[in-house]
Amino acid sequence: MKLFKRRRNVGESVLTLKMWRFTGAAILNLIILMLLTVYVLPLLYMGVTSLKEPDQVSAGLNAPLYPAAVVQVRYQGGEYPLMEVPTKDGIQQWAMIETHRTYSEFIDPQDPDQGLIRWDGYWGSLKNVYTFQLTFDSFNSWKEADVPLGMLNTLIVIVITEVGVLATSIAVAYGFSRFRIPGGKWLFFLLIATILIPDSITLIPTYRTYYNLLHIWLPRQSFLQSSFPIPWNWLPLIAPHFFSSAIFVFLLRQNFLSIPRDLDEAAMLDGAGPLRILIQIILPQSIPVVATVAMLHFFYIWNEFRISGMYLGANTNFWLLAARVQNGQPMLGVNPEPSIQSGALILMIVPILVLLAFQRFFMQDMAVTGLEK
Amino acid sequence: MTSEPLSRMQKIISRPKVTHPNAGLRRREAIVGLLFLSPWIIGFIVLKFLPILYTLGYSFTDFNLLNPGGASFVGLDNYFHFLTDLDAWSGLVGSVWYFITTVPLELLVALGLATLLSNQRVLGKALWRLVIFIPSIIPAAAIYYIWLGFANSDSGWLGRLILTPLGLPPLVDGNGLTMIMALWSIGPGFLIMYGAMLKIPHDLYEAARIDGAGPLLRFLNITLPMISPAIFFSLVINLTSAFGGSMLLDRGYVFSQNLSISPMEGYIHLIMFTYKEMGYASALAWVMFGVTMTITILLFRSARRWVYFPEEGSHETL
Repeated sequence: MKLFKRRRNVGESVLTLKMWRFTGAAILNLIILMLLTVYVLPLLYMGVTSLKEPDQVSAGLNAPLYPAAVVQVRYQGGEYPLMEVPTKDGIQQWAMIETHRTYSEFIDPQDPDQGLIRWDGYWGSLKNVYTFQLTFDSFNSWKEADVPLGMLNTLIVIVITEVGVLATSIAVAYGFSRFRIPGGKWLFFLLIATILIPDSITLIPTYRTYYNLLHIWLPRQSFLQSSFPIPWNWLPLIAPHFFSSAIFVFLLRQNFLSIPRDLDEAAMLDGAGPLRILIQIILPQSIPVVATVAMLHFFYIWNEFRISGMYLGANTNFWLLAARVQNGQPMLGVNPEPSIQSGALILMIVPILVLLAFQRFFMQDMAVTGLEK
Repeated sequence: MTSEPLSRMQKIISRPKVTHPNAGLRRREAIVGLLFLSPWIIGFIVLKFLPILYTLGYSFTDFNLLNPGGASFVGLDNYFHFLTDLDAWSGLVGSVWYFITTVPLELLVALGLATLLSNQRVLGKALWRLVIFIPSIIPAAAIYYIWLGFANSDSGWLGRLILTPLGLPPLVDGNGLTMIMALWSIGPGFLIMYGAMLKIPHDLYEAARIDGAGPLLRFLNITLPMISPAIFFSLVINLTSAFGGSMLLDRGYVFSQNLSISPMEGYIHLIMFTYKEMGYASALAWVMFGVTMTITILLFRSARRWVYFPEEGSHETL
């Protein structure tokens, strides 16, 4: 009897527990939804503002959040803005014909034959009537900056450095993961330490070297002045990537270490050299981590402005995207905000598309590679 | 009679005769290995080691890029100048301050989001993970544009949609903005912590639950220690960005002086590119190098106490 009763109690509590679980889950999901809405709000702001008229941004709090334009009313050949006018009969939507300091004259669009209506008060306190309208004018303002050329230049630099950084980083990671080298442990420690060295400490001699090279040595070499200009100013950006990247070596090495050695030993007995083992055995098993590293490098160069900004060079045809957008910002009449936001959109659209296209494996692998210590 | 050659034979067999060919193999292995390492070794010497030495050399001269021939040895003058240069100190303090305020905040937010998302009852995890990561791949210039517009008190959305409805005062100073911008790029740290949380074996939690540990205790005693390597890794990423290094994704470079993520780096660039005083800039770079390395060494020392390494010998890896 007692046992039976207890069982029923358990059944009830399971039900309440389920209800609690459900509300708990709902609240949790709601909190996350709210947090992440706030998190993406700036991106939304960027997208929406880039589609607005400059006037709407200037209007600030008086204008709606969505892209919209002031409603204009035609009257006797002219166009006049529709305003929200507070009157005794509530708020009326009237077109503002003439403005004065203490009063203004309006027309009721519903009944234009009624003639001018006099309204006492300062017109500046009135609000415009807006209607939803998209405009792509802000993107046109970037035409002179030649964004496609900037993207092409950036892509060329990415392809060249991608080859360099992948080939060298894979080789170095292979060296660290498969060969017994006296003092190898210390070399690896040194490699990790180089990740943490701030850029400023190496910047000054590097800058001086490139400065001498690009501004003093190169102009004197007449045989290099060919009719087809060579983008020498890309050299400081490209060259370092042909000496491997410490963080990529770290990530790749972790992955190579997790590949069992039995296979390479078997291949070695078959007479395969170290390079063949790397290409035929290690690499095919490391495609995800290599792809992750390749994508990280893609984002890195796309976002890079530190070095490319220092050695821009006189020939603007070779400027990368970031320099084009930052220096090519046009002076717009009223409010530059929409074109600034469309510039931001132009800068980020390619990396975001790349991330969206490859996100499935990138996100997982990034999480995994980072922590396998 | 017969025992004599037998023992000799035994001696021959048992003698570590293998060392000779093996030593050759080992040498060969080391040479091939070093060949594979050579891109990094050359790069390290040419791009890191020599420049650091050169910077040290410059820091004892009054070398100016506008007058490269007229550099002379001035001893420790540049370092003495630093001691009385208030702008340099405020830059250095700003960088350190950023590291001790914003970086822990970044870690906490990343940890909080990872904890929330690792809950089994959360829907749409893949989408949220992507949303959190996206701002981390946006160019720094674009981030700067977006946030300047977003936080604008007249036309921005920060005041209109968040601060005013919550009854908060408008954001005026640049420091708050830098902090918010930093919180907006926690992607890599978040992803690494999140990945680490998913990898924790479930039976650990089950065992703790049976022992009567509540959610908070389980978090403190299982989750935190198990993901401590991931926390440490994110800490190191954030350390480099605070002092103007670039690790996974280049986040740090914002062009306006007062909005630079690393004020000290901004000041060094000012001395370098505006005044062209390479000697003094080198001294400042060495001061920053010293501070960064001290903090790094302290962090790695402390890591032995609070970072949990599951395997033996993984200390050396990070």
